[in-house]
Amino acid sequence: MTELDGLVTDARERLMARARREGLETVGYRVVDSPFGPLWVAVGPRGLLNIHYGAEPSPLELRRIVRAYGPGVLPDAKRVDTVARELDQYWSGKRREFDVTVDLSPLTPFQRKVLAVTARVPYGELITYAKVAHQTGNDKAYRAAAGAIGDNPIPIVVPCHRVVASDGTLGGYAGGLDAKRRLLQLERGSVPRGGWPPAHLSRI
Amino acid sequence: MTHPTTFGELLEQHEREIFAYALRLTGDRDDADDVYQDTFLAAFRAWPPPRRGNERAWLYRIATNKAIDRSRRAKRLVRLGDLPLAAPERDGVSVADLAMAVKTLPTGQRAAFVLRKVQGLSYAEVSDALECSEDAARSRVAVAMKKVKEAMR
Repeated sequence: MTELDGLVTDARERLMARARREGLETVGYRVVDSPFGPLWVAVGPRGLLNIHYGAEPSPLELRRIVRAYGPGVLPDAKRVDTVARELDQYWSGKRREFDVTVDLSPLTPFQRKVLAVTARVPYGELITYAKVAHQTGNDKAYRAAAGAIGDNPIPIVVPCHRVVASDGTLGGYAGGLDAKRRLLQLERGSVPRGGWPPAHLSRI
Repeated sequence: MTHPTTFGELLEQHEREIFAYALRLTGDRDDADDVYQDTFLAAFRAWPPPRRGNERAWLYRIATNKAIDRSRRAKRLVRLGDLPLAAPERDGVSVADLAMAVKTLPTGQRAAFVLRKVQGLSYAEVSDALECSEDAARSRVAVAMKKVKEAMR
């Protein structure tokens, strides 16, 4: 880091404090480290809004955040501290449930319903996309439910990695199937090669 | 560079060059810090940027005005202690040239000189940042250059 970079960093800190005091910041973000590389994490006035795999935000998510809370999206390490700490505890196996409040209000009512079902799946357990659709009260909405799960703006904390296909395969995952497999390995110890026997899943 | 949709994107894309510009205009790290803060707070308050794709010139315009306002208020000579920190990394303008320019030029001409010769803005961008025509921008830079050369003799 050059001396100029140091001055800019200090100046930014003071700028952020002034922006907060003036109410110009609505949403704070920070990039946190994870076993899967950097995660872009955003916290708004009602809670955790977004965890995105990568150091940059997803343009789709950012549009959704700006529509809900305006352009005041600013770097704010402190605001993300609690989420970052809980994620660290989760990676090290010391945390099984997240205590942070999530904010799903920028989503459609259907997406919220699907993710509310997803959020209730306990640590280490599995559910199928079809079962999620069933629990939202619409068995036929299986594909729409899978779509809403795929668009989950808060992966890991809203555990969409616990949702698998009815044929016992992993299905999809925004962070990549390797990340999904590793999350399930962390929670369950192992993931069978080629997935689970469908009979196993029919019992859940 | 993508069009910023949030304050954070605008800040991350331009804060380094705006701070360097403020340092080159004021020659002092505390004054540069103030100009940087005033510039971005004014930009956030005035959101959205007036024209898509023109955010850079917009920020330079705000920064130039903030620096001029401050120098008028302070009514004192520019300090030169921190200038080497903002040493330009390209186009052959040395710290000595810059120090000379800062020492001899009135703020408006100094801004034109730094924007064009140090920050590397096009004349269209300089005219946008200084809210003048492109011809006026060329002439301000030319006058500034002449004065710098004279001062260096």
